Formats: sequence, structure tokens, C-alpha cells
Amino acid sequence: MVSLKRMAAVAAVSMIGLSACAGTDSGSSAVPGATKSGSDLLAAAPVAAAADILPGSTMEKIKQRGELIVGGSLDAPLLSQQNPVTGEIEGFDADMGKALAKYIIGEPKVKMVNAASETREALLGNGTVDVVLQTYTITPERAEQVAFAGPYYSSGLTIAVKKGATGIAKPEDLNGKTVIAGANTPAIPAIKKLAPQAKIVTFGSDPECMQALKQDRGVAYVQDETLLIANAQKDPSVQIIGSPFTSDPYGIGLKHGDDQFKKFVNDWLLKIQADGLWQKTWKNSLGTVVQGEAPTPPQIGSVPGS
Amino acid sequence: MSSLLFDEPGPRARRRIRIATVVGAVAVLGLLALAVRQFAANGQLDADRWQPYATWPMWRYLLNGLWSTALAAVVSAALSMAAGLMLALGRLSRRRWVRLPAATYVEVVRTVPALLLVYLVLFALPRYGLDLPLFWKLVVPLSVSNAAAFAEIFRAGIGSIERGQSEAGLAVGLTYGRTMRLIVLPQAARRVLPSIVSQSVGLLKDTSLGFVVSYAELLYSGKVLATYNGLLIQTYIIVALTYLVVNASLSKLARVLEARTPQARRPRRSLIRA
Amino acid sequence: MSAFLDHLPEFWEGLIVTLQLIAASFAGAVVVGVAITAMRVSPVGVLRGIGTAYVETFQNLPLLVLLVLAVFGLPEIGIKASLLVTAVVVIALYEAAYIAEALRSGVNAIAVGQGEAARALGLTFGQSLRHVVLPQALRTVIQPMGNIFIALAMNTALAGAVGVVDLTAAANRVNLMEAQPIPIFIGAGLAYALIAACAGFVTGRLERRLVMIR
Repeated sequence: MVSLKRMAAVAAVSMIGLSACAGTDSGSSAVPGATKSGSDLLAAAPVAAAADILPGSTMEKIKQRGELIVGGSLDAPLLSQQNPVTGEIEGFDADMGKALAKYIIGEPKVKMVNAASETREALLGNGTVDVVLQTYTITPERAEQVAFAGPYYSSGLTIAVKKGATGIAKPEDLNGKTVIAGANTPAIPAIKKLAPQAKIVTFGSDPECMQALKQDRGVAYVQDETLLIANAQKDPSVQIIGSPFTSDPYGIGLKHGDDQFKKFVNDWLLKIQADGLWQKTWKNSLGTVVQGEAPTPPQIGSVPGS
Repeated sequence: MSSLLFDEPGPRARRRIRIATVVGAVAVLGLLALAVRQFAANGQLDADRWQPYATWPMWRYLLNGLWSTALAAVVSAALSMAAGLMLALGRLSRRRWVRLPAATYVEVVRTVPALLLVYLVLFALPRYGLDLPLFWKLVVPLSVSNAAAFAEIFRAGIGSIERGQSEAGLAVGLTYGRTMRLIVLPQAARRVLPSIVSQSVGLLKDTSLGFVVSYAELLYSGKVLATYNGLLIQTYIIVALTYLVVNASLSKLARVLEARTPQARRPRRSLIRA
Repeated sequence: MSAFLDHLPEFWEGLIVTLQLIAASFAGAVVVGVAITAMRVSPVGVLRGIGTAYVETFQNLPLLVLLVLAVFGLPEIGIKASLLVTAVVVIALYEAAYIAEALRSGVNAIAVGQGEAARALGLTFGQSLRHVVLPQALRTVIQPMGNIFIALAMNTALAGAVGVVDLTAAANRVNLMEAQPIPIFIGAGLAYALIAACAGFVTGRLERRLVMIR
């Protein structure tokens, strides 16, 4: 058990060490489960026809500016995680942002604005960012303040426990127990709804929550399934219970009422789903920890609010 | 060695001191050794858990964070000192309508946690259309709360200047404003310099609230690093040591400054040897 | 305002936790702070060194960093305590450094003659500390101690970042559900202001009763 973990750590560290010694800023990732820089991926990414960039549209504004401003995170492993070695932001959401930038501008130029999840509506509303790509679950309530393109990915919350723990098979079993969740994550309302008697302890980041689980600060850790799969692979002392108990369709947040841009982004999503880029992006990030082929992408506009 | 609280130790006292020295040292070292052993037993001292911090990219990332910390600290120190000076002068004003708001501000802000102010700027202001860039989401609440602290420091400094100084200024025909500016403030500023530096160290520590705002200062950079390499404890130990070195240097600087001020009188006799 | 009133139970629980944090960690901080001050004036060099190192270390580290390190690091060296207890201990140790500094300046403010008189009467080091120096030092530092108390009360808000559901964390959670930041955070702020006002009142009274006229 320990040796496996140690081996993973050794591998990770030696790779960091190697890339540092060689002095290269290559995008090769040091940690199992993190993604490649995705540059080969982007080479194949489509560029919009000039006719699609309508005059006076948001797309034209972005193209003239020469970069796409994305609201996202720096510390969401597999989705949008900054690689301290290269400074690049890597993961599924990050690659989607770069691909969208290439589609509009012709080059994958992205400026990342680190967004707190509570301020995303405001960032879009006052035009600080063009799009938000940050595990942004589409809900009818949110759709009153922002427009959603997509969904571009569907995920769900699941439960992780220490290996060998018993008595938890479904979310309702969490009642009366101490449950760990990330601060300000959708896990908190989800637990409150399904297990109102659960005592929730929150920590600031995913590794903190994992450490807390291992140190028995709680009996279970509720988090996005992909993230937990990656954790369980890195750390064999943790196991995942069952399949996701929620369904969170992620959308690309856009300014409310900008139907032109929304249609443009939706057309792009359809295009990359059809030509396989979506699947390749998934393989390159989330697919590195989940076995099997890429899932079927969600149908555009299939969720209330999108 | 001499202190007023005990005599020059005789042979027996010296033996007792020696025993106390040994016992104290053994106790501290023993505790440390025990902690380190446990720590190692849990695999936290394994070389591969520390090696990333022997590489330049990790440090480059942390030093970038430190730079952001310094930037936020300097800007909010400048803002809050300026505001603090205004507030201190306002509180000492002879006009009630100036004195009251200044006093209210200081008394109210002093009693609200900085974290709560951060939450207000983070969550409440965007609802009214004021969504500041990340940098200001950290700097504004820190400046608001530290302004009150600096105001109290300046007020204490001004209050410590002998009355005769300002009376003399007024007597030679200076206005109230010029007396303040030319006579009282320069002396007060020198006198409160150590407090200002220690409050600034406190402010630098407060920038760790960037952790909450997700402004990429030192602690938040540590958080991003830890999610990247999974080395939670090692990363935070490194971050803590960095804070310690920077702040200890600043405190040291404060003591040097204090000793150098032209007004630094010979230390009066006190019960504690420095 | 309804967002505040609907969630009174949550706020109340948070307030209780905050009060526990404040009371327990202030008591601990005073005890440790006095001990550190005693070490710093003692004839034993090693103890003085430990005292100084202690104050330097804790004054130069952000409380948030200490909290995170303690919560996740202590279990690794075999010390497992609940989150609340860990937070109380860390805040107490942190504020003890400030109390020790305040006490030291209090000791320094005592006229040298007092120490000389105590020695002349034949009091030992411990006795002169206990009967002459510390009681006077404690009185001169009532005002600074009041300020430290208020700072400590404000600092307990950071415990929310390591999983303790105190008043600030409770307010944050209610806000996540209700999304009405203004009444929620201002309500919480008022509670803190009230705590600080009580502290100010008590120190004012204490000072009037105990202050020495020189």
C-alpha cells in the first residue's frame, strides 16, 4: 500500500527533478493524472470561417483583442490546474478554453482570470471575462443571470471513504456522520439535501480534504467523481462508493442575453464533438485517470437553463 | 550577566542554573526529537517528499507568490497609512463633525474581523455591480481594517509629544495646521516608527487572506502547489519558513531603525536585559 | 433581513463556537504568555533563549499558516485532537507571543527601585517576580491586553478556514444558501462588534479600579 504510493511519488518527483535539471520548460507533466500541455491537440483544432465572425459581435471583439478572457481556476486537478513548472494551466476546462480561443482568433491565446465561484455571474455581467469555464453547473436559477452554452460535460458527485470502512453505501447513509467537503463546492447543498443530519466539515482544497479523510476528520469525502477517481488512483488507502448520485451538467458561462455568441459557441461544441476533438481532449485530461473510451458527450441544449 | 531581579549567582546558584540549563535544553531537544521521529515514522520526512523543493521551478513559483504578497502588503500599507494619518488628525480635530466620524470609523472597524471584511468585498460588492480585480479584493479590505490600526498608532504618537512643543509652535504664530505639520508630526512619526514596522509585519501576515480570495500570494501559491504535487504538509512547512524568514528580517530591520533614530536615548535602566 | 432571522439557529451555534474559541484560547494565551515572560527574565540563558525564540517565531508567522500546519501536521506526529481543540491551542499559542511582548514592556515600565527593593528585602527571584513585578506589570498592561483580546476575538474567525464552524464560517454557509451577503455578514459583524465592546467595557472598568497612580 505504502510502497505503491511511494512509487508514484518517486516517479513524480524524479520527473520534476529531471525536467528541472535539464532546464527545459517542456510541458511534460510530472504528476500521474495531470495532462499534457495539449499543444498537439490544438494543432488539429478547427478555426471558424471568417463569415461566422459576425461584424459587431462578441466574437469579433475577441478576435480584434487577440485573446480570449476566461474565468476559471488554478487549482482544480484534471480540469484547470496550473502547472508550476511551466506556468501553463492544464486540464479539460483549460484545453476547452484554448480550443475555443483558437476557433475564434486562430491562435490558442487565453488570458485566465481566477474566479471565485460566487463572483462568476458578476464577472460575466460586467464584461470582465468573455466566458467562464469552471465546472459551472447549468441551473435554471443561474440561467436568469447568465447564458449557458453547452452542456459540454456531465459529471456528478460521489463518495469516497477510507478503504475498509463500512456502513456507507448511499448518500442517505451519511446521516448522523461527519462528512468532509470542499469549501464553497456544490457538495455542501447536495449533502444537506440527501442527508440533512450529516455534519459537514469543509476544507479549502482537494488535498486538504484528502488528508482530512485519511486523518479521520470525517468518515466520508463528497466530491466530483473524476477528482475522486484520480485521488483513489494516487492513494490506494481510499476507495470510492458506488456511482455518482447527482448529475451536474457543466456549461460555458456567457453574458446574459448574448444569443449570437451563445449560438456561435454551441455550433463550435457541435463541431468538435463531431470531429473527435472533444473526445481527444477528454482522453488527454480526464481520460488519463478513467479507464475506457471517452463517454458520449452530452447533447447541446438538453438541460433546462441551457 | 546581571539583572536587578537576581544577584550575581554564587556557586550553589550557579550549579542550579547549570542544572536548569541542562534540563531545559534536554526537554526542548527531547520534544523536538520525538516529534521528528514520529514525523519520519509517518513517512513525512522521506527524501522524495522533500526533493521537489530542491528544484528551481517550485521555488520560482513560490517566489512569484512572495512577490505578489509583497506587492499587496506595500500597496495596502501605503493606503492604510495615509488613511490612518487622516483619521488620527480627524480624531484630534477641534471640530466635532470631523472628530465624531473619525472616531466612529476607528472604533467600529477595529472590532470587525478582517476576514469578514474580505467576505463583504468578495460576495456583497459584486451584487451592487462593483466587482474589483482580485488584487483589490484583497487590498481594499486589508487597507480598510489596517487604517484603523494605523490611526491609533499615529494618535498615540501625536499624544506622546509634549504639549509645550505645540504650544511653542502656536506661540511663535504658526497656524494649527503648520504646527502639526512642521513640529508635532515629524517628531511623532519618528517616535512611532517601531510600531509602524510591527503593524506592517502584521499586515504582511494578513495578506495570507489571499488564500480566501484566491489572489495568488504566497499562501495561495502554496495551495496551488499542494494540489499539483499532493505534498500538503511539506508545502505548508516551506511556506511557513518563507514567511518566518521574511518577517523576521523585517522585525530585525525595525530594531536597527529604532536604534538608529536620532532621538534614540540611551536605554533607561530596566528590569530586563535586552 | 429575513435571511438573517431564518437562520438564527445556525448563527447561534456559530456564535457559541466563537465564544468557546475566544474564552478558551484567551485563558490559554494568558497562562502561556506569563510563563514565557517569566522565562525571558530568568537567570537561565537557555530559558531566555527559548522565550525569545518563541516570541519571534509566533509573531512572524501568519495565524492561518499555523492553523493549516497544525490541523494537518499534528496528526502526522501522533497528536490527534478535534478541530476545535486544535484551533484553540494554536490561537492560544499564537496570541501568547503577543501577551508575552505586552507583559515584557509592562515589566520594563516598572521602576527599577521596585526590583531593587524586592531584592533588598531578601525575596528570591521567584518571589520577587510573583509578589512584586508581575502584579504591577499586569496592571500596566490592562489596556494592551484588552487590545490583544479584541485582536484574538477577530482572529478566531480564521478557524473557519480549517473546518471549525464558527460565527464567520456559519455566516458564509448561510450566504451560500441564501445569497444575501449584506444582512448576513453585517449581522455577523455586529456580533463581533458587541463582543469587542464588552471587552472594551471590562478593560475600562478594570483599569479604573486597578490602575496605579505614580
